[in-house]
Amino acid sequence: MGDSELAYGSSLTLDSMKVIAESVGIATLGDDAAKELADDVTYRLKVIVQDAMKFMHHSKRQKLSITDIDHALKIKNNECQYGFIQPDSLPFRFASGGGRELHFIEEKEIDLSEILSAPPPKVPLDVSVRAHWLSVDGVQPTVPENPPPLSKEAQKLESVDPISKLSKPSNKDSAGKPICGKAARLKASESVHVKQLATHELSVEQQLYYKEITEACVGSDETRRAEALQSLACDPGLHEMLPRMCTFISEGVKVNVVQNNLALLIYLMRMVKALLDNQSLYLEKYLHELIPSVSTCIVSRQLCLRPEMDNHWALRDFAARLMAQICKTFNTSTNNLQTRVTRLFAKALQCPSQTNNETGPSMASMKESEKTPLASLYGAVQGLAELGPEVVKVFILPRVRWLGERVEGALSGIGGADRLAAGNLKHQLLKVLAPVVRQLRQPPDQPEDYKRDFGYLGPSLQQAVSKIRSSPSCSTAGGAVAVVTCTPPLLPTAPSPSPSNISHTTKTETVTTRNLVIASSTPQSPAPSTPPPQKFVIVASQQKPTQIQSSSGTGHIVVHSSQPTIVRSQNVQSVVVTSGPAPGGAAQKVMVVGVQPQHNQGQVSQAPVSVVAKPVFARGGGGPQPPPELDDLSHLA
Amino acid sequence: MSEKSTPLLAVLQLLRKYNLKSTEDILRKEASLGDVECESLDLPEVELASILTAHHTESDPFTYELAYDGLKKFIENSLDLYKYELSTLLYPVFVHMYLLLILYDHVEHAVSFLEKFGIEQEDYYQEDLKKLSIVKHKDQIKGNELAEIYSTNKFTVQLSRDASSQLKRYLHEQKNSSVIINIINNHIQIEVHDGPGRTQAQVRATAGGVLGEPMKSENRTKVYYGLLKEPDIQVLPAPVEDEEEVEETPDKPKKKKAKKDNLFMKKPKSDPNAPPNDRIPLPDLKEIDKVEKGKALREASKRVQLGPDSLPSICFYTLLNSGHTAISCDICDDSTLLAVGFNNSNIKVWTLTPIKLRGMKSAEKLQDIDREAGDVLVRMMEEKDRDTCRNLFGHSGPVYKVAFDPFKTMLLSCSEDTTVRLWSLQCWTCLVVYRGHVWPVWDVRWSPHGHYFASSGHDRTARLWATDHHLPLRIFIGHYSDVDCIQFHPNSNYIATGSSDRTVRLWDCLTGSQVRIMTGHKSTIFTLAFSVCGRWIASGGSGGDMMVWDLSTGGPAASLPPAHTAPIHALAFSRDGTVLSSGSLDCTIKLWDFTAITDESPIEETLNNLIPKEDKYLLQSFATKSSPVKGLHFTRRNLLLAVGTYESSA
Repeated sequence: MGDSELAYGSSLTLDSMKVIAESVGIATLGDDAAKELADDVTYRLKVIVQDAMKFMHHSKRQKLSITDIDHALKIKNNECQYGFIQPDSLPFRFASGGGRELHFIEEKEIDLSEILSAPPPKVPLDVSVRAHWLSVDGVQPTVPENPPPLSKEAQKLESVDPISKLSKPSNKDSAGKPICGKAARLKASESVHVKQLATHELSVEQQLYYKEITEACVGSDETRRAEALQSLACDPGLHEMLPRMCTFISEGVKVNVVQNNLALLIYLMRMVKALLDNQSLYLEKYLHELIPSVSTCIVSRQLCLRPEMDNHWALRDFAARLMAQICKTFNTSTNNLQTRVTRLFAKALQCPSQTNNETGPSMASMKESEKTPLASLYGAVQGLAELGPEVVKVFILPRVRWLGERVEGALSGIGGADRLAAGNLKHQLLKVLAPVVRQLRQPPDQPEDYKRDFGYLGPSLQQAVSKIRSSPSCSTAGGAVAVVTCTPPLLPTAPSPSPSNISHTTKTETVTTRNLVIASSTPQSPAPSTPPPQKFVIVASQQKPTQIQSSSGTGHIVVHSSQPTIVRSQNVQSVVVTSGPAPGGAAQKVMVVGVQPQHNQGQVSQAPVSVVAKPVFARGGGGPQPPPELDDLSHLA
Repeated sequence: MSEKSTPLLAVLQLLRKYNLKSTEDILRKEASLGDVECESLDLPEVELASILTAHHTESDPFTYELAYDGLKKFIENSLDLYKYELSTLLYPVFVHMYLLLILYDHVEHAVSFLEKFGIEQEDYYQEDLKKLSIVKHKDQIKGNELAEIYSTNKFTVQLSRDASSQLKRYLHEQKNSSVIINIINNHIQIEVHDGPGRTQAQVRATAGGVLGEPMKSENRTKVYYGLLKEPDIQVLPAPVEDEEEVEETPDKPKKKKAKKDNLFMKKPKSDPNAPPNDRIPLPDLKEIDKVEKGKALREASKRVQLGPDSLPSICFYTLLNSGHTAISCDICDDSTLLAVGFNNSNIKVWTLTPIKLRGMKSAEKLQDIDREAGDVLVRMMEEKDRDTCRNLFGHSGPVYKVAFDPFKTMLLSCSEDTTVRLWSLQCWTCLVVYRGHVWPVWDVRWSPHGHYFASSGHDRTARLWATDHHLPLRIFIGHYSDVDCIQFHPNSNYIATGSSDRTVRLWDCLTGSQVRIMTGHKSTIFTLAFSVCGRWIASGGSGGDMMVWDLSTGGPAASLPPAHTAPIHALAFSRDGTVLSSGSLDCTIKLWDFTAITDESPIEETLNNLIPKEDKYLLQSFATKSSPVKGLHFTRRNLLLAVGTYESSA
């Protein structure tokens, strides 16, 4: 109320009146007339809004809507504003120029034939009633229908400012705990005597829940595990159990990494994923337990009993994605999380000798035991790759020569496991580096240059780069780049400097053509017995040359596509299907992105391409399948 | 004569000075002034001017500010004993000064006056001031709702005798107080009461009405707030005990004395506060109604006793996919049906039990049914036509209220289209359209005994109807603004209304007159609920404030702490009258200890101890997941049902 201007209202200006007058054809409106009109119109508008408030209140809303205005006009015997239905709250656009500022309603021209030919919009869902218990004998059960007992903001506040908890009365948050009123009061009186900063006592029900969940998560029954993970990912009110859960995970990783129990490690990582996905939890307080566990699963020397057989690579990939997700969610300027994680991985890539001399002495001079194992190298590369192309550029690219020597050495060696690891590492390096190198180097790509610059991996890298270069841009001149979403290394991160690519695109105009990239990923280590199902990722996207996409992927939709094998330049209208394996978390995610048709490219045939996306990982009634990467591991469980 | 004619003579002299002959003649004729007086026109120039300006003070903009400032200082400096009572005078004086300034075309002065002193007014008047501030021209005063209320009615201020004499002395002493005196004479009703001046809390408890506090005389009529004698129902297997409980429990929250009376005398007929059973002619119970009553009593015997240590369970019905469209709801007395009124004129009725909703057979088929058969009511329903949800179409505007009749055969609804509709829940069609309200109808309620219903609307009236008359039986006029909510007294003899003028009024259905006017709410009242015993009424407002009133005195029994942050749209008493529940748009349901509220306010000192121990009233608060609460209902077994719409964050 302090601001009197705010308190007692504003009014229309003379300028507004003149602009309105102009718009209806009165060129010169005198100042007096404008003043008179402005005052009157202001008064009438305010009266109408006041009346509309009544209708808003009786519609039991707190937000004024257009229908309220209509009803207010009606009781004033005025005609309603027909055709003014606006889903957005404020339909006004702002423009300024010539010293005048304008708010206007944007009216687009609508092509009727387009509307007629378009498929009818979806019928809205009918209203339905659903019952749940808000309270049972005065206690609110923590079911998803009820709000979490401690909101995410409160958890965040608590982790940032632990003092705030002390100032609050101690029995405020007892609503979430299934204690009856009497016990709660007893507890409150008790806590007067006992000084307890953080009580982590769990009720009997919570203890049971914890037991059930942890057993199911690491047990052998896949159905139960799916349910348990679902519960972890969705249920509110788990925050009281978080310390236990996180300790369980970190202890579990410690034990199982020693025992090389791959399956259990995977299950634990899936728990981490589920907890990360839970909207009502704020994990920052527990990162000190989670991050070591996750990074262990990325870079550990050995994760399974038979490195030559088991697909521990999938675990490393998965954990690397988790790490990226953690970094993205919790990185702040104070904890420098991403920097620290990056440093951790970069250290793994650090060759003791390499730091001194870039070209490096031959590997032979080093003892086998001193070397970082190839598997750890793989993990470090993957971990860095998930953090985005910038990180790849800074931390992996300078080490390519050395990594290549390691790979070369291993491939020429005798150890089967080493050979496999080297193959995987090489594959991964190419996948990660190719897009980055493409951005950095100008064509033409000469194998000799690459060889010179990157050593052993040079020629392969050159092939990969030229393959990428040719795939999206050459076939359709002026095409935007097809994108495999969410795998950061494959993102077209910035406007490509290469002139052949999108040279003609102007800075302001978004040129879109629709490309279809069908990329199939072959698993890094084909398991001998069961070849994992092939996965199709068909993605198209609208390139915005001016927009720099963020380096880290969007997190939950994660796509592996190591080699774009089939590249077709078909003009499809839309259809983007991304099946995310997301091994630990939610069910299959399908994303459909419509790409706006561009009129100036009507001559291109618009043959629709039927796309079949194989569900990679479906959860549901019919027995959930493990994700494909983990398929060959299920026998371990 | 000479005194009176001085200004006239001054004017005459002025006219003569400017040589306006004909006007002078007319004036002389009209004032019947003799030539003698006219000849002696020799007033000095200075005095002439002073006489003319003195006459002009009313339209001098600067006097207003000075006079108001003076009054304010006087009140601030007066004794604490009178200070708070006198301060109630400031707001009406302020408002009328503003309106006068507007009236005399001093718009700029009016605006600056408002800006200077507006923020000093009580917080609950700020909203009105905002509404008033849009009036910036004298033509706008006429036609503006609020300005008209102020200019055509008198604002009532209650002062103790001493305070009023203090005020009088001040006004006499002051020179430029003529403006204030005029305003007080024309627009303010000062009611002088004997006794000491009131404290700040006491003043605040009843302040807030658009036109101040009620006159003492307005609340003198006796109100029969007791319950009617329940008719004996033979259908029950063991009715005696059940009935006893029903009759006793409502009296629990009352004073102990009253309770004792009832314990000793089994027949509550002797309740001195109950109206005679035939005061209002009530319909006879039909056979089927008796069955229903019997069922209710049996259910009631299984009721859970509630209290601070045994809170009710709450079952929350969420309306999914409704967004902002579902705006009203009601659950029928036996908690089997849920009706929801929508923004898009539609009404939906759901069954909350596995029993499906059945339609009636067509007229031809009904002919074939043996009307004497015992199960004729079952037979006349269609076999195949069953559904869990049924639509009722007919309104042409948002449905602001739906209400089941006590025997769940009919449904009432009111809408923006100014009509009230009566629907049959057997053939699922509209039976009657009641036209009478001129503007949107905000609320409609059944009498607890059926047959009668009451409606209220934007036309500032409340109306009493009987289902068999297409015209209202009574029209209750008196509110200064929209009548936003209405509620029948449990004994069907009275109707309570809550309004945007921030008053709750109680009307006698028999005489149609207003018997209570209760002020103290600081915002628009959106919902009302009578206690089970009939003596108290709870009201909830748009500011999230709640109050409990005592009908016997018309005074506030308790002002509950403002726990809600958004308008309260639902209030419900538990069936044993011990717990009051409130539901608000801030997505919470709160439970209040009603026994404590009424116990701590014995009649003699209702006003004295309002502030302390307020925290004790609130028992528990339950938050919903972004679902504003739009309806509350206690089942006969004291399970609380709540209805809300899920509104996603988008």
